[in-house]
Amino acid sequence: MTELALAAFAAEADAHLVSRPRTRRFALFAAGFDEAGYVRELERRGLRFLARSDAQFPPLLRAIHDPPAGLFMRGGADAELLSRPAVAIVGARACSAYGAGVARLLGRELASAGLVVVSGLARGVDGEAHRGALEAGRPESTVAVLGCGIDRIYPAAHARLGGEIAENGLVVSEYAPGVQPAPWRFPARNRIVGGLAAATIVVEARDGSGALITADFALEEGREVLSVPGEITSALAAGSNALLRLGATPLTRTEDVLELFGLEAAEPDAPELSTAARSVLERVRDEPRGADAIGRVTGLGAGEMAAALAELELAGLVAESAGVYRGVRPAG
Amino acid sequence: MTGVLANSITYALIGLEPRRVEVEAHLQSAIPSFAIVGLADRACQEAKERVRSGIASAELEWPRRRITVNLAPAELRKIGSGFDLPIALAILGASGQIPRERVIEHAAFGELALDGRIRPVGGVLAVAEGARAEGLERIVCAAESTPEAELASVEVVPVSHLAEAVAYFRGERDPPPYGGRNGLPPEPVLPDLADVLGQERARRALELAAAGGHNMLFAGPPGTGKTMLGRRLPSVLPPLSREEAIEVTRIHSVAGVLHPQQPLVSAAPFRAPHHSASVAAIVGGGPGPRPGEASLAHHGVLLLDELPEFARSALEALRQPLEDGTISIARAGGRALFPARFQLVGTMNLCPCGGRGDPAAECSCSPQRLGAFRDKLSRALIDRFDLVVTVPRPRAHELEVERGEASAEVLPRVLAARDRLAHAPPVRTDAADELLSRAVERVPLSARGRARVARVAATAAALARSERVEVEQVAEALAYRTPREIAS
Repeated sequence: MTELALAAFAAEADAHLVSRPRTRRFALFAAGFDEAGYVRELERRGLRFLARSDAQFPPLLRAIHDPPAGLFMRGGADAELLSRPAVAIVGARACSAYGAGVARLLGRELASAGLVVVSGLARGVDGEAHRGALEAGRPESTVAVLGCGIDRIYPAAHARLGGEIAENGLVVSEYAPGVQPAPWRFPARNRIVGGLAAATIVVEARDGSGALITADFALEEGREVLSVPGEITSALAAGSNALLRLGATPLTRTEDVLELFGLEAAEPDAPELSTAARSVLERVRDEPRGADAIGRVTGLGAGEMAAALAELELAGLVAESAGVYRGVRPAG
Repeated sequence: MTGVLANSITYALIGLEPRRVEVEAHLQSAIPSFAIVGLADRACQEAKERVRSGIASAELEWPRRRITVNLAPAELRKIGSGFDLPIALAILGASGQIPRERVIEHAAFGELALDGRIRPVGGVLAVAEGARAEGLERIVCAAESTPEAELASVEVVPVSHLAEAVAYFRGERDPPPYGGRNGLPPEPVLPDLADVLGQERARRALELAAAGGHNMLFAGPPGTGKTMLGRRLPSVLPPLSREEAIEVTRIHSVAGVLHPQQPLVSAAPFRAPHHSASVAAIVGGGPGPRPGEASLAHHGVLLLDELPEFARSALEALRQPLEDGTISIARAGGRALFPARFQLVGTMNLCPCGGRGDPAAECSCSPQRLGAFRDKLSRALIDRFDLVVTVPRPRAHELEVERGEASAEVLPRVLAARDRLAHAPPVRTDAADELLSRAVERVPLSARGRARVARVAATAAALARSERVEVEQVAEALAYRTPREIAS
């Protein structure tokens, strides 16, 4: 298991290494490396290491041209989770309310259908995709790939989300404990996000966004790439729309993804809605609006309106952002 | 010769609490001089000059002897100019110009002008209450303070000049009764809800806040009327009860913000300190200590406009009053306890640049800046807001709406709901309970968040004149929970 020595050495040398360097420094390090002690220390911290040579190492990831030496893992799930059919959902950190809603919906519905949702635990689209997958309520439904050492969660604002993912799935990283987050590590992280998944979905990406790196990588490796169409006037969607122009599959329904895996959509739960909620939903689907504006077209009072909107939110049909409500299910 | 001694009685205020102070004047045949001892602060030391000029202006005799004035107990710090009148009376008593034994049957409180007039000083109500509690039945104070002092059920001797006080003590003539100033007290004009166009959700939340006494927070881009809405809460609040009014008046009097023509504060007070306010300005402090804005808003509304712009220390200091309705300030001279049971109304943008939630602008805030913005508001503070309303910017065509109800139409509903909440609070049905539990999982809600939703739902039921809290009311209350933009 020299992969572990390699990963530990990379952390110490603050370098990105996927194969043994032929240097004296590494030779000295490897000779003095106490592998059993390191493994015990990992176990003490509730961590595991899955070497590239291990039979359980995910074959899709091993197939990329520069697979990591191994993956550090945190969480209760078996390493086999990494080999299950998976979709990567990536996109802008500063996403729009629309992007956030779509990412969450996709995370939830794809996880419900039995797929593993892989993402990078970043703010915005990544976080929403993880949250959606957790909401689906199926065990072991999501994997977060970190761009820093396995012992920390970056960004710190997602510490709790990271904890929930570890409980219900896996948090993985190719970096040993102690590695600090650095901008150059994130593109490398993206290759693992794309590498674990058979298909990559770009929800919302600016020109030059990190999500496009993941998409490029997935294309190079011959994986499926889907992109969610955005408003053509929005800079936030310029990158994801450009992908469509280049030939990515447009994603307009969850089924577009499921069909690639030969899966059927989970039975959509049709919640019983009150009359007021139904008429509100109809209006919200036309156009995102504030509560007062919907009240004016439906004629409902402010109290009834608030109740109807909360009902729709609980049913997962409508999402609110900055006082504006929008439908979150694909209309098609 | 050992000299002559005379006393007068007044009260020093530690916060709102009156403490008896005996003013002793001692005259000795020696080289003429004048000294005040007994921990008098600067304003009180300067009484020397005012008292000397006042006595001379009243055509009385300034004793050409060695004068020592002691304010006892000596270890209690004496602050302010209200000691002028009792000092003057003690000196006049000692020099035999007025009968000493009559002086000590009265409490005295007031500032002297150089021409001998008596000026009103803040805190008269608390001083009069102190006198009353010790069985002194009369208080000599500035004529303008009469209506305020009378609230303490003591007999007031209203004097507008030192000469009038002297004539009264000599038994020559009683001072003229205080007739008030010319004209009627100004009718307070509160901003009315009728001025608000549209904004149905915010109006509804305001009505809920008024009925249930909930703290509320308006969030949204600039220029959507958040402050305008907040300022209209007092117009739908019930008037103060007699006891509440006296409590509020005492605080306002000590702080010196009482309107001279409105001795009794009878409407819910409204305070809106600027966001540059210091901790002491918000919760009270200073050597006095003096009540802060939070206490001035007691039984009323404290509006904090642009909440995240306030110093974090000032916001955190509000947690004690939000919890138990009091502020205690420890000082070397003792501990002052100020009541501060107010309704908090906050307004804030959704991000530092103000672009969030505004369809016409794009938010240019970095995640770090957004994070720092949210970090200014601790979860503990955000959790105190039962109602959070996100006010989006209306589009142009949405502005062509009718005016809503006036405050006078809303108030009766608020009063009825308050009555119901106080006497027969509505109870949740099983279905409503079930929805609440589902929401805790789904939304998700913290334990405190759940309690807030339950409270607001009860208020909504009371407004609907219902004995039960139904599913609809829990659903409505859920719509006012803290949005993710602010919470995380």
